[in-house]
Amino acid sequence: MKLALISDVHGNLEALTAVLQDIDKQKVDKIHCLGDVIGYGSDPTACLELVSKNCDIKLMGNHEYVILGLEPPDSYTHAARVSAVWTQDHLTDKELSLMADFEIDRYIDDLYLVHASPFEPDRWHYVLGPDEATAAFERLQGRLCFHGHSHIPLIFSEMPNQPLRRRVGHSFLPNSETRHLINIGSVGQPRDNDPRACYVTFDINEEGEEEVTYHRVEYDIETAQSKMAQARLPDILIDRLTVGR
Amino acid sequence: MPEIIVKFEDKVIERIVTEKKRISIGRTNDNDIVLENRAVSRKHAIIEFNNNAAVVMDNESLNGTFVNNRKVSEEVLREDDIITIGKYSLVYHNEISQGQNAGANFDGTMVLRTKRQKKLLENDKVEKEMVTRYGGSVLIGEENADFSEFRIDRDVTTLGKAKFVHVRAKGFLLSGIQAKIVKENSGFALVNLGKRGKTKVNGEEIDRCVLKNGDFITIGKSTFKFVEGNR
Repeated sequence: MKLALISDVHGNLEALTAVLQDIDKQKVDKIHCLGDVIGYGSDPTACLELVSKNCDIKLMGNHEYVILGLEPPDSYTHAARVSAVWTQDHLTDKELSLMADFEIDRYIDDLYLVHASPFEPDRWHYVLGPDEATAAFERLQGRLCFHGHSHIPLIFSEMPNQPLRRRVGHSFLPNSETRHLINIGSVGQPRDNDPRACYVTFDINEEGEEEVTYHRVEYDIETAQSKMAQARLPDILIDRLTVGR
Repeated sequence: MPEIIVKFEDKVIERIVTEKKRISIGRTNDNDIVLENRAVSRKHAIIEFNNNAAVVMDNESLNGTFVNNRKVSEEVLREDDIITIGKYSLVYHNEISQGQNAGANFDGTMVLRTKRQKKLLENDKVEKEMVTRYGGSVLIGEENADFSEFRIDRDVTTLGKAKFVHVRAKGFLLSGIQAKIVKENSGFALVNLGKRGKTKVNGEEIDRCVLKNGDFITIGKSTFKFVEGNR
């Protein structure tokens, strides 16, 4: 079984298209999306349609939550609020109902998929430090958790009788005694100083060996930016795509 | 305290500071540094620390342990030495020893097929043959050099723009004698004599630097690789 996992597309159609083309070459069985398909970018409708068409499991992110009116954008920056209002204005009831069907989280045997953290999944906690990772591991029922939200590819590993390990996201072979929180990075707005779109594949071969592989994909950033500028979305959201932070 | 910076395909993924006398590196969880990659053996290598000296030892791993691109079974580590294991590189740092000479079991490991590793193995073989042939240390001309191999056996080897130097280099504003390589203890050191900033080792400007195997020496626009003999 081979899965492709994508997250945090954020209305960036150029990045999503490039990633889906790359996934096509990987011969995966299924694609799952871990939330935040919309917000920030200029193509929420097209991104929602593509995700609905191509992805099997579709999870709710905090941006879907806010756009659906399930919570106020209290913690949002000014730019995020501006883009949330813009996105709301550009979505129809049909698209909102697509989003409303997104799930909060999902277990597939030993795998757990969630947008932010296994700890209070609908409170959207970031998992960047050891305390947040410890809280996440305490609630995690499975062995491997794939998540997004921070846009930073990061791996926390919990081995028996050893201190928690925090590493930058990279391809590796999980082993059966270790639990991992694997942040799969962002398709449409990377923030790890690498502007290329990021996604992950998870492969289990016939011997049961698992492999997590990070993929970085170049896409037409300039087109994405000029469309955002035309839509008069905040400059800060446009500029950060160039540098990936 | 010694620090090991773990990189995966040139990206820093982790920093490990250790007080231990001995750390193990391998694919399984009982190692101190776990590298989860098929090219890494279960118990791939160990590093022993003793009085600010560090030694890396390969544990008969299938795909080998490399220090500065040279395959090793046992090697004393020096500041900034790069240990390559599979797709990972481990950079050794020890503040105290800075600038000084501090001086497979087939266990299901897949045979490594990455181009980079293959190239490393090939280069290593070629370089080993070269130092045997010359009976000592050698400079390899990498860029803008008028030789492909040059044996370093003099007490002083001069490098620069002048016609009379041993190793001619190209570049603007380069001094006639820009640098010299001198014998030092059992090895060699590179000393800048000319214009500042025109003598570099591994991309960094130097005034004086003990040469390590695999170091890239850049004089102006010319680059030479230092391959140490008699190791």
